Amino acid sequence: MQATLEDFFKALRGSDLEVHLNAQVDAARAVELVGWSDRALLKNALGTTLAKTTADRVLFDEAFDRFFCFDAFKKPTGSASGAGQAVPQGADQTNPDQPKDEPPKTGSGGPGGCQGSGGQALSQLLLSGDSAALAKRMQVAAREVGLTDIWFFTQKGYYTQKIQQAMGLELLDREISEAKRQTMAPERAKELELTRKRLFNEVRDFVERKLALYGTAPTRQLHDDFLQTQKLSNIEKRDFERMHIIVRKMAKRLAERHARRKKQRVRGQLDFRKTLRKNAAYGGILFETFWRTKVVDRPRVIAICDVSGSVRQYARFLLLFLYSLDEQLSGVRSYAFTNHLVDVSDTFTQLPVEHAVDKVIQAVGGSGTDYGQTLLDIEEQLLDQIDRRTTILFLGDARNNRGEAHTEVMRLLYERARRVIWLNPEPTSFWGLGDSEMKRYAPYCHIARQCNSLVQLEGTLDALLRTHAAST
Amino acid sequence: MKTEHSDHFASIDRVAQSFAAVDYIASSAIATSVYLGFQLEKPILIEGPAGVGKTELAKGMAEVLDVPLIRMQCYEGLDESKALYEWKYGKQLLYTQLLKDKLGEMMQGAQGLAESMDRLHAHDDLFFSEHFLEPRPLYQALHQEKGCVLLIDEIDKSDPEFEALLLEVLSDFQVSVPELGTIKAKVKPIVFLTSNNTREMSDALKRRCLHLHITFPEPALERRILERRVPGLSGTLNRELVAFIQAVRQLDLKKLPSVSETIDWAKTLLLLNAEHLSLDLVRDTLNVFLKFEQDIATANEQMGNLLQQARKDAELSHASHA
Repeated sequence: MQATLEDFFKALRGSDLEVHLNAQVDAARAVELVGWSDRALLKNALGTTLAKTTADRVLFDEAFDRFFCFDAFKKPTGSASGAGQAVPQGADQTNPDQPKDEPPKTGSGGPGGCQGSGGQALSQLLLSGDSAALAKRMQVAAREVGLTDIWFFTQKGYYTQKIQQAMGLELLDREISEAKRQTMAPERAKELELTRKRLFNEVRDFVERKLALYGTAPTRQLHDDFLQTQKLSNIEKRDFERMHIIVRKMAKRLAERHARRKKQRVRGQLDFRKTLRKNAAYGGILFETFWRTKVVDRPRVIAICDVSGSVRQYARFLLLFLYSLDEQLSGVRSYAFTNHLVDVSDTFTQLPVEHAVDKVIQAVGGSGTDYGQTLLDIEEQLLDQIDRRTTILFLGDARNNRGEAHTEVMRLLYERARRVIWLNPEPTSFWGLGDSEMKRYAPYCHIARQCNSLVQLEGTLDALLRTHAAST
Repeated sequence: MKTEHSDHFASIDRVAQSFAAVDYIASSAIATSVYLGFQLEKPILIEGPAGVGKTELAKGMAEVLDVPLIRMQCYEGLDESKALYEWKYGKQLLYTQLLKDKLGEMMQGAQGLAESMDRLHAHDDLFFSEHFLEPRPLYQALHQEKGCVLLIDEIDKSDPEFEALLLEVLSDFQVSVPELGTIKAKVKPIVFLTSNNTREMSDALKRRCLHLHITFPEPALERRILERRVPGLSGTLNRELVAFIQAVRQLDLKKLPSVSETIDWAKTLLLLNAEHLSLDLVRDTLNVFLKFEQDIATANEQMGNLLQQARKDAELSHASHA
């Protein structure tokens, strides 16, 4: 029983549902209380202890239905058995956890445990078409070989083989070759070979199902790690969807860490308790006062993103990041530009992410980046919004097509804003080469950094928001 | 609490029966969660749309157990002095005045400063004792002699700081008052938290709770609820009404009608002596269960279809019931 529960926790992890240790303990106690006999009850009991949000509950329900489905052997389609009718098709509803009732036969049976609990030879089982018994044996074998550790599709063959062996394949093979040798029983040899094929198919399907159950989470994790460190320009289109999820998670993490910072302020409501306590020594005369008000100090960020052709690959993700940050943090204004400044904050709040990013690139994108004009636009439109609490975030390669750089605006921004940060997808060694103006802008940035993967992006932004905190 | 009331909580069916006895019809999911919450002595975090009976569940629990319900409504800015305890400053000040007057008397005949100090030390420090403590809901809940049901309503409205304060109460059923030390619950209270999901709760809080999501009830369950809550309602009207509400919930509305709205509507129809749902009747009373102008307009547009479907569903359920 315990083993079944542990397998189930593993399967939940496979569905991206993190189960805490004390939730596991609760679940075990809950199962003790309600028992295994009623499926709906079991589902409710496990659900209420293991899933902690409504979204989790949906994941949980899916995983539960997949995990506690009866891995029944299909009935032989050939004429091989007439006794196959003995097991009703409805077995999976009436008795979902039956195959798992079997206590794990640790060691005793060993590999090749065909002579295990039932004692019946595999060939007999196959021929009689006793699908329940076969499924049971398959489950036991699966536990013996540790199928729940399966990770990759490449392991499918290995586990299929292992499980078949644990079910007693060796004996079956011996029987087949024996039957072949006895020339008078060619029928039997044929039949046995047919059942052997069926066994293989069944076990392979079973392993595939389990791979989907247990293998997805680790593989996905691996893939996520890869995507996070990969250069943004190299990420392929089919991964965009996954990237959305990663970026959103990242933005949420950042926002959670930094959104609610509070500052004590010397004004507002009187902190009566503290004041009286302090002033008890003066006979209750309010000599020293304490105030309760705390000001939530949210970072105010103006993000300005280049979406021109040269950085389009990055722009997608930078916009995506801005979008996610916008969802999480209030007080982020987002702008995009190629040759003039466009406010995209409203697009972000009104449209879902895929459309918003595409729309911005479509509406603003193009060639002929003009940083000079953009800076002039900033000076004209944004300067009065920028004060010593504002952080300005530039995202772009600073390739200006040999236009006027207007560094004097950068200087103005540098003097007015709390911080000016420039994230450039090009490596530092390329800065200033060709039409790059980065070398001329960099002195007017508090931080100018190369940034071309998600990990770098997160690291930089985290540092940005933190130093922001330290300096207040 | 656990041993005393174990008869109500012997099994999940028994829980459902006990709640039915106090006019709360619990679905099996609700009954299971309540049962487990009681048996595992864990708080239950209840989520779901407004008006599906989250708060009612806690009230029902208090009634089943026959213990007081202590309710704490959360809001932004709620802090420990309003949730946990507060010192009675006025009394404390009076006490210092009193002390000042008595000081001379106490010190009479004392030789030198050292002896005076010794005498002072010999007196108990009454200043920070329970006599001067003003208990607030959380503190009260821990001090109930016979236990209680503690309802922390709309926890999502409170600040994260308050959530942190709750953690100790939820996991160990105790609070720490710096001046007094740790105060343990006399009898562990049954704790319910409700949330409308305006913000996500912290992991630490979620970990300490069982989670229960109450959704809109199934037709059969909703009919049973109406039978209980609006006793005079005829069977036909009950079926039609529930079928209609269920159909309305399929529409794309700003605010879907909840159980509480169903009950309100049923009471209204009962007052109007209605036997069947008719087009005019529904039109006139639509505002009882739809709260937005826009929603009412949407429902009005679809009225014919809705009514037809409701009648069909009602008949179906009647037939299957029979």
